[in-house]
Amino acid sequence: MLFLSALITGLGLGSMYGLLALGFYVTYVVSKTVNFAQGSTMMLGAVLCFTFWVTLGWPAPIAIAIALVGCALWGVAVERIAVRPFVRRNSEAWLMATVALGIVIDNVVLFTFGRDPRGMPPTSLITDTFSVAGVRVQPQQVLIPLVGIGLAIAFTVFARRTRHGLAMLAVVQNEAAARLMGINVGVAVSVAFAMSGFFAGVAGILIAPLFTISSTMGTMFGIKAFAVAILGGITNPWGVMCAGLLYGVAEALITASFGSTYTQITAFSLVIVALALRPEGLFGRAGVKKV
Amino acid sequence: MKTPSRLRLLPAAFGMTIAALGYAMPAGPAFAADPIKLGHVAALSGASAQSGEAITRGLQIAIDEINAAGGLLDGRMIELIQRDDESKPPKGLIAARELIFNEDVAAFFGGIDSPVSLAIAPLANQEKTPFMAVWAAATGITRNGADPNYVFRVSAIDALVDIKLLDYANDKFGATKVGLMLINNPWGESNEKGLVAADEENDAVEIVGIEKFEGADVDMTPQLTRLKDAGAEAIILVVNAPPGAQMMKSRERMGWDVPVVSHWGISGGRFPELAGPTAGEAHFVQTYSFFGDQGEVGEKVLGTLKEKYSEIDGPEDVFSPVGTANAYDAMHLVAMAIEQAGSTDGDAIREALEDLQGTYVGLIKTYEKPFSPENHDALGPDDYVMVHYEGDKVVPTE
Amino acid sequence: MKPIHLLSGGLLVALALAAIFTGNGYELYILSQVGLTAIVGIGLNILVGMSGQISLGHVAFYAIGAYTVAILTVDHGLSFWVALPIAGVLSGLAGGLLSVPALRVRGPYLAMITIAFGFIVEQSAAELDGLTGGWNGIMGIRPPQLFGESFSQREIALLVLVLVLVSLVVYALISKSPWGKALRALRDSEVAAQSIGLNPILLRCVAFALSAVFAGVAGGVYGTMSGFISPESFPFFESILFLLVVMIGGADTILGPVIGAVIIVLLPEAFSSLAEYQLLFVGVLLLVVLRLAPRGIVGSVLAQWRRFRPEAATRVDEGDPVLPSRAASGNRLVVDDASISFGGVKAVRGLSFTAEPGCVTSIIGPNGAGKTTALNLIAGFYAPDTGTVLLGDEDLTGKPSHQVARAGVARTYQTTQLFEHMSVLDNLLMAMVGGRVTARDLGASLETPERRRKAEGLLAFVGYRGDLRALTGTLAHIDKRLVEIARALAFDPEIVLLDEPAAGLGDEDTAHVARLLRRLADAGLTVILIEHDMSLVMGISDHVLVLDSGAKIAEGPPAVVRQDPRVLAAYLGEGASAMPARTAFVKAGEVALAVEGLSASYGASEVLHGLDLSIASGELVAVLGANGAGKSTLMRTLSGLHRPVDGRIAFRGEAVEHLSADRIARRGLVLVPEGRQVFPELTVVQNIRLGAYGRPPADLDAEVERMLDRFPRLRERQAQRAGLLSGGEQQMLAIARGLVARPEVLLLDEPSLGLAPALIEELYAILAGLRDEGATILLVDQMAEMALAIADRAYVLSSGRIVSSGTPAEIRDSRLLEEAYLGDAASVAS
Repeated sequence: MLFLSALITGLGLGSMYGLLALGFYVTYVVSKTVNFAQGSTMMLGAVLCFTFWVTLGWPAPIAIAIALVGCALWGVAVERIAVRPFVRRNSEAWLMATVALGIVIDNVVLFTFGRDPRGMPPTSLITDTFSVAGVRVQPQQVLIPLVGIGLAIAFTVFARRTRHGLAMLAVVQNEAAARLMGINVGVAVSVAFAMSGFFAGVAGILIAPLFTISSTMGTMFGIKAFAVAILGGITNPWGVMCAGLLYGVAEALITASFGSTYTQITAFSLVIVALALRPEGLFGRAGVKKV
Repeated sequence: MKTPSRLRLLPAAFGMTIAALGYAMPAGPAFAADPIKLGHVAALSGASAQSGEAITRGLQIAIDEINAAGGLLDGRMIELIQRDDESKPPKGLIAARELIFNEDVAAFFGGIDSPVSLAIAPLANQEKTPFMAVWAAATGITRNGADPNYVFRVSAIDALVDIKLLDYANDKFGATKVGLMLINNPWGESNEKGLVAADEENDAVEIVGIEKFEGADVDMTPQLTRLKDAGAEAIILVVNAPPGAQMMKSRERMGWDVPVVSHWGISGGRFPELAGPTAGEAHFVQTYSFFGDQGEVGEKVLGTLKEKYSEIDGPEDVFSPVGTANAYDAMHLVAMAIEQAGSTDGDAIREALEDLQGTYVGLIKTYEKPFSPENHDALGPDDYVMVHYEGDKVVPTE
Repeated sequence: MKPIHLLSGGLLVALALAAIFTGNGYELYILSQVGLTAIVGIGLNILVGMSGQISLGHVAFYAIGAYTVAILTVDHGLSFWVALPIAGVLSGLAGGLLSVPALRVRGPYLAMITIAFGFIVEQSAAELDGLTGGWNGIMGIRPPQLFGESFSQREIALLVLVLVLVSLVVYALISKSPWGKALRALRDSEVAAQSIGLNPILLRCVAFALSAVFAGVAGGVYGTMSGFISPESFPFFESILFLLVVMIGGADTILGPVIGAVIIVLLPEAFSSLAEYQLLFVGVLLLVVLRLAPRGIVGSVLAQWRRFRPEAATRVDEGDPVLPSRAASGNRLVVDDASISFGGVKAVRGLSFTAEPGCVTSIIGPNGAGKTTALNLIAGFYAPDTGTVLLGDEDLTGKPSHQVARAGVARTYQTTQLFEHMSVLDNLLMAMVGGRVTARDLGASLETPERRRKAEGLLAFVGYRGDLRALTGTLAHIDKRLVEIARALAFDPEIVLLDEPAAGLGDEDTAHVARLLRRLADAGLTVILIEHDMSLVMGISDHVLVLDSGAKIAEGPPAVVRQDPRVLAAYLGEGASAMPARTAFVKAGEVALAVEGLSASYGASEVLHGLDLSIASGELVAVLGANGAGKSTLMRTLSGLHRPVDGRIAFRGEAVEHLSADRIARRGLVLVPEGRQVFPELTVVQNIRLGAYGRPPADLDAEVERMLDRFPRLRERQAQRAGLLSGGEQQMLAIARGLVARPEVLLLDEPSLGLAPALIEELYAILAGLRDEGATILLVDQMAEMALAIADRAYVLSSGRIVSSGTPAEIRDSRLLEEAYLGDAASVAS
């Protein structure tokens, strides 16, 4: 029973990590850059949703939709402000620049949203629990992995089946050839960052009812999600999602069997060991080196 | 052309550096007519920022009263100087140093975070500047082994709260076996010691499990499940509001209606909103409640709060009431001590505090000789009240 | 030490001393904090600035140092002065240990490992209760004592100042020692660093360990200074600040971290009255500095300083050319039956040859023949699947490149791989000591009079006349080539491998390089050369090896190879007679594409010089020329992938030279690029559909069907990933992908590259079919005979200029073509 409930929790958290990591993936494969402050975008999703829905009293679907649009726009802004200028001059300072922008947005939210953590009002997704093999489960716990995996599938379908999705994948595989197909690479990169923001926003909104909403809620999630993205081999969407689920389940199981004090030490040690053994990630592929 | 813009930056950067040096260095002698500076190191940003605001309100209301009555030491006004510790001990240490050395404060107040106050205590003793804890409850803050000891407290003290919590679990809920849910930080550790010690003294109750969790943990069902399996009949909870709410949600999800007896950390934020429907099932300790019959001082302070802060219409709007109440009383006690000492000298203030003459009719209680050289805690178990949330209201359970 | 360093350093010390002697307890504490942060920054600069790596976990080493001192002094009563060095050593060991998993990863992967390490140390400090005091930390850490007296805050600040100065001196020493230069060499070009015998694993490990020692020592002092440490004293955020200290101050500058520390520590304190806005302010400041001063503050100041006060150039004196001493050892290089495949494609098969000392052995062959791969097999960059490589008696097969290099094999690269942020002199000096640095060299200067004389001699020998102190990244193209050759010689090799040393050079410079290579061989070196410039190859080689599709097809002296029909066929193509001539001659329509005075360059070297050409709609025009003539650059420029320096490109009467590639493609000027460039992970059909992205037809499905009809081989494979197709199939796919956009003008770049003859014929039959349907095509191909067989008109390109144009018959008759491909027969004699 302990095992089963840990598994359910792990899958829920794992798909959070997976969603955020998918955000790392989508920008990395299109532009070889990431928004290091992805956790802040997740926080933004939860904060915007709370503000629109609870504070302003808008209908939930509209609040969620606008919050997600906000996250996507924020993703685009991050790319324009903190990534593109540095990539243009061939600098790797975008890494620090996105961290800086994360600090800025965290603090802006702190002053505008307020300092005390807030909680989403419970919905029937939280209160109408049901029982599986003696373990009580909230619908939200089931919803999270469903949405997570569903989005991963939707993204794969978009990427593989639609014209614009194919175009984004093409940018990844051969930028020059993509331009020769008439693909505007700059726009493709913006779209990738918008999607990255969108995924983070979805993660934020999904976790909000189970967690507390505050300007710092995303920090640890962001770092763990980055570990997940790296572990999954950042160039493989399913690898990233699987690594997320694995990480979440591993974390929950470690907590269940040894207590939460050792969770971080063990999980991060596993990250180092995994990368030492497979530098390209668990599900990544090594490239051919060329002179 | 990128160069000109970069060029422009250089003077700016140098200017900022020089400004920084200038800011960091001004230190002049104090004049007699100067206001009396009192410091406050607390979390003004981050997750615990609300606690800092609550303390600030208590301090400021008391200061306004004192200044309106003509100030101290023949008309010197009190000036409050605040510094943010971001809930981080190193930041708190630097801020405390700045208050002592740069602002030359006569005494200073602390915040909610025990780790920060624990780090500051040795500095206060070393620099002979009285430090008044108004929220942080870790036992070691006041009982720090220093002699003379410059650290005082108008707040609960873990060692005594822990005894109260175990007694309450037994008296109120008839629990003989309790499980501990502790935040994994110094405050949790302080209470682990206190609870284990209290357990040894208390034959009626037995601790059957000690579980810890991180502040950022989302789900605590694994820990709770282990306590349940160990046969716990009540949970003793030591944590601040947001993770405390996570604990309550995990408990709710498990469908386990075990009584929860909590330290007061959960009162530091919007616990009812965060924890949801079961928030009221957590009984916790407080030093003061603005609900129920208020004494004269209570009415006055509540009136001032309503007047000063437009969002306050009644007791339910006073967040983190202990912070405000403790700070209010502490400020008046410090003011009395300064008046009695006749100077802003740290040693004189300490001696005055340890031997405070006269009676102070305060918010929490009426103080007579609140401190002595051996005891630096003004409040004891008799001053603690057990409360719980009814909606947004904090209502006594006894 | 330069005057500017002494001046600014002196000023800082004076300021610091003044502050220390006037400051109160708080100010002293903050000043000490600045100093400690600076020490960590100086150490981190070894990692970030010198070796170009990143660490987001440096607070872990700081913590290890702090805990070591605290535990040893508080629990074990050890003296601070004993504990502090131990703290440094322990942190260094931890750094070395961390470098083991960190060695194989770069960029975000490395960032993740260091982040994880930081968290592990922080959490371990919290959990190892007995040792570290858990969350409560360790209190009552006593200040250091000297002669029985405890240090006051002021004395601690002085101690910190001394440590900062020591750190700066140590950093400066390392910076100009062989180790520091070796780290920079590795940062600028890992392959080149290995090729002069540097061991990247050892170097990175040392960089990590050294950098950790600084952090450990600083942490040790921090503990005694604050008197209290707990896990919360070492949060993740602190690691970010340390990195910022380096970046804001200026990576790879001596004073950068000091300035960075002043700003990062003091500024928030200065605004402490705005308590809650501190972090916001730090974030904004960071963004501003990163945007406006990419080299950091000190880096930007130095750059300005150099602009106003350029240092006098140190020129190489005439005369005294010196050659390497080890040259005449008489070992021959024997490659026997070497093969290697990549993903099922045999890049080199069964290659055997012998390179004699004192001779120039050239490897030639069409593009994609496997020449560079062969060179990489010798240099140890790839291990052969089968076969052996012997140098004299020494077996080099499968050894890592730095070991092959140490055995006496030096090389240069197709695109120069100099250490671009290092001076000419340092590039050579580095090669002289390459791979033979020892621990003793840590404090020694890389530059010694003896080494410098030798470097000057070598530079004189190769004919470099520029500034010794110039950064190689700023040199002209020919100078880069010469310095790279001089660097290879500085390594004292027996064998020099040169990969296209004349690529991108003008005629005069090419002749200079040719004479230089000949002199090297005459001095007894073994020279192995890959080159496309046939006049050069034929002029100086003793022995020529011809590769095609990875296999040797001919070998012998230049005069013999030139006459070999197999060589001609490999270069010019065969089977042209089978090509159908144009059946119905469509009258050429109006001009579809007109190019006037087009010039293009890569960096400083101009590749196209004022080209004029035009195509009428319905025409098939071929552009012919040897490799390196500028054909592909022309195609890239026309398609917008490369921006021209000068000239006009009019597409259907509208200027397009300023448009981006995607816009040009949308207008219908579509390039099928060299080397196919299909999207390997997408299926055949997805590739074709993507071709229409910029110009979607009304009925895409029908259009895709038509393409599959046209290329039946593709229909068979339509659901396969393009990366799994054969070369010929990929080429068909690339053309189909171009055609599906219904281009107004189709640009075809080297469609026959790397294809088997039968496939080439099939391909050209398809192109002839397109021509007959009225498509407008500009075709670039090395297979001149094939191209001429189907073309209406042709241009011959040589060294970036059009040397001839006309109908296929006129071109064939002029003999210019053969000269352009295999070199002028007259030049062989010279």
